[in-house]
Amino acid sequence: MNEELTRRTVLAVLAGGAVFLVKKANGQIVWQVDAARCINSRLGEVGVEACNLCTTECVVALSAVRAVNEYSKCGRCNICPAYFNITSAVNELGQPSEKLCPRDAIARKPIGKVDPEDPANNFYEYIIDEEKCDGCGKCVMKCKEPLGLGSITLRIRYDKCVNCNRCSISRACPQNALLQLPIGQVIRPAEVQRPGA
Amino acid sequence: MEYRHVQTIWGKGALRGIAVDGHGQLYAAGDSEINAIGPNRRWPTSRPAHSVAVAGDGTVYAGEIGQIEIFDGAGKLLHTWRDAKLLGRVTAIGFTRDSVLAGDAADRAIRRFDAAGKFLNNIGKDNSTNGLLIPNGVVDFAVDAHGIVHAANPGKHRVERYTPGGELLGHIGRFDGVDPAGFTGCCNPTNVAVREVLYTTEKAGPRVKAYDFSGKLLAVIATDLFDANCKNMSIAVDSRGRVYVVDTVKAAILVFEPVKS
Repeated sequence: MNEELTRRTVLAVLAGGAVFLVKKANGQIVWQVDAARCINSRLGEVGVEACNLCTTECVVALSAVRAVNEYSKCGRCNICPAYFNITSAVNELGQPSEKLCPRDAIARKPIGKVDPEDPANNFYEYIIDEEKCDGCGKCVMKCKEPLGLGSITLRIRYDKCVNCNRCSISRACPQNALLQLPIGQVIRPAEVQRPGA
Repeated sequence: MEYRHVQTIWGKGALRGIAVDGHGQLYAAGDSEINAIGPNRRWPTSRPAHSVAVAGDGTVYAGEIGQIEIFDGAGKLLHTWRDAKLLGRVTAIGFTRDSVLAGDAADRAIRRFDAAGKFLNNIGKDNSTNGLLIPNGVVDFAVDAHGIVHAANPGKHRVERYTPGGELLGHIGRFDGVDPAGFTGCCNPTNVAVREVLYTTEKAGPRVKAYDFSGKLLAVIATDLFDANCKNMSIAVDSRGRVYVVDTVKAAILVFEPVKS
């Protein structure tokens, strides 16, 4: 009886594995970043340096990982800590004088009814240029709460990822934040319930 | 001007707003109740309480989603003002001589009502951004002894001064990521209180400061006593100058008092 069960279990696991491999071969199973595990987007982690292993460990020349701004969550702030280096000197416009992104991959433009006299009087759209972004995570770290609103997260672009069996980023990631999941099953940062939230 | 931390009042659950009445009695709003701290009088609100304020006659106003509930000092419900449009999410309440002000975070504006609850006008709405810039999701303001409304406009890194009729008189504040006289991050200050001076709280990192009305920094009251993940830290001040600040993560109220020189 036990032997029968064991055999069934083994067969079931093998069948599951075979289905997984077929789905993976067909591009239906892909590597994804779990934003609730990634230290750059995980809530509660403040005052730590951004992790850039997605940039340095990917086998693709310009990493397959990109920072993605979810516009519905973005505050469209005048001073965006993901765009500006907010500890740099303040310029004559009352803004930080330096940008945060080392590859200048984020563009900023005023939207809506624009007040040209007072930059603080406008909303701004922040657009990430995916041809420049290498997924270093600096903007993600600065965007997350409580400093920002957490609208920017790291995502793996399926068209750039070569879908390695053992993703080198996943092997290096100390948070085990890379998972193989069905395509379309986007992982979003967990909503942390805090008193007063 | 210096302050020292003199007390921590521990609570539990969601602590969203605090207020001090004319006698120094501290009230807290959170979960679905109002708590008069000290006498330990507490009573339920019909919806989660986002703010609390006490009028000169001792009636207690609780700001909620879609409504304001008005209680007597013992917690008996006297009136409910309901308006889904004008009272979308009431995160602050204040009073002028003849009107009641409510911060509606859902529409990024301050509403002014007469004493009977009749809408009079908006404050902070008539501008190119169609309201206060509050990425953090809270409208907060305080009314000084002259009836001037001091409203936090965190997206602009300013505290703006308005007449009760809604006229913008001016502002203090500027962005600065290093100089403590400025407000840092995307959007600060998030909360304000006022007596003879103006008090502010900031998030990321949490900080409490005092300014004079010209915008001169008088004191950094506290920085490192709060959980680093705090935001929207409600603040109140009593007639003796004691400053009460909510730690939203620890569900605590930290009390500071000025050091006499």
